[in-house]
Amino acid sequence: MSTINFAAREINCKIVYYGPGMSGKTTNLKHVFSKVPGHLRGEMVSLATEDERTLFFDFLPLDLGTVQGFKTRFHLYTVPGQVFYNASRKLILRGVDGIVFVADSAPNRLRANAESMRNLRENLQEHGIDVRDVPIVLQINKRDLPDALPTAMIRSVIDPKGELQLFEAMSDKGVGVFETLKTVSRLVLERLSQNK
Amino acid sequence: MIEPSLALYGDAFERVDQVIQDLLETTGVRYGLLVDRKGFVLSHKEALWAPRPPALDSVATLVASNAAATAALANMLGERTFSEQIHQGENGTLYVESVGTDSLLTLIFDASVPLGKVKLYAKKSITQIAAILEELKDIPPVQLGEDFSQGANALLDDLLG
Ligand SMILES: Nc1nc2c(ncn2[C@@H]2O[C@H](COP(=O)(O)OP(=O)(O)OP(=O)(O)O)[C@@H](O)[C@H]2O)c(=O)[nH]1
Ligand SMILES: [Mg+2]
Repeated sequence: MSTINFAAREINCKIVYYGPGMSGKTTNLKHVFSKVPGHLRGEMVSLATEDERTLFFDFLPLDLGTVQGFKTRFHLYTVPGQVFYNASRKLILRGVDGIVFVADSAPNRLRANAESMRNLRENLQEHGIDVRDVPIVLQINKRDLPDALPTAMIRSVIDPKGELQLFEAMSDKGVGVFETLKTVSRLVLERLSQNK
Repeated sequence: MIEPSLALYGDAFERVDQVIQDLLETTGVRYGLLVDRKGFVLSHKEALWAPRPPALDSVATLVASNAAATAALANMLGERTFSEQIHQGENGTLYVESVGTDSLLTLIFDASVPLGKVKLYAKKSITQIAAILEELKDIPPVQLGEDFSQGANALLDDLLG
């Protein structure tokens, strides 16, 4: 696989999919894995329970290619959304460069969305990262649900000031997945070129 | 605040490369990786006779996550740290030890290679690598400009449509 060429230079960026349990984080990665050509991505690693809930993380490496002599790579991770896995979530955030917050449109998950965002802030803080210093993109998933809440209502509990870029998605059908990833990647690369 | 791990491979990293190469030759270790705490491969060497290695990105991620989980456990149990990780299977061994605060030396070798010997020589290599990494801390960060951003965005379009 990746043989390191010492004459080359590399940039590696870590993007983490965060959000409440069952919101569709793993589904996002699976879709990316299935659609990106094999030579541009590595294997997907999933540390999950028997019933397919994320236990530690999912991992998918993507190769962007070489930009101005820099081999540029993205590592995508998902965290386990279930509340009691917080210790693992905290570990996955280490060294994060960009975040996709995947919210659930189901009415009975409104509160879980809000709590997950609060938990994200707390965990970032423990790593000494201000939430405003990391690019975050909001994905409101499961728009296909018949009783899906209006996006404005969901946003109001996770991003009341309306600061984050927002994408509606149906990630199990692949809708909105690439738009979200592209936007967060672009924000991360912009940061890089501003040397922040 | 955010830290895109930006690894510069200059002369310093060629020396790291050499240290790992020497370690492989002295001990008979099959694969040697230097992995950063975020799970990225910084350097990778394999013995000439070794078969194609497993997916190194995956190995690096799992090793770094495992180390992070172990460190969190140590912390909870009131230890400053737990020392190296050793995983022994029927056919081979995975041996991981910290190099300073930022990286992990990962060695994979056959059951026929004595662990004691690997540990002994690895200690020496770790001291050498740690010293080289220490020098790297003083290198100023690379300046990436507007052109980089544009080039990267074009590639993003290719990758993600
Ligand atoms: N209706 C609908 N279901 C979806 C959508 N996206 C994902 N799902 C389903 O939601 C369930 C949970 O998806 P996962 O991707 O495993 O959720 P997760 O966020 O990784 O969950 P944890 O690993 O527990 O944190 C699965 O059954 C998915 O098929 C969507 O857009 N619409
Ligand atoms: Mg999951």
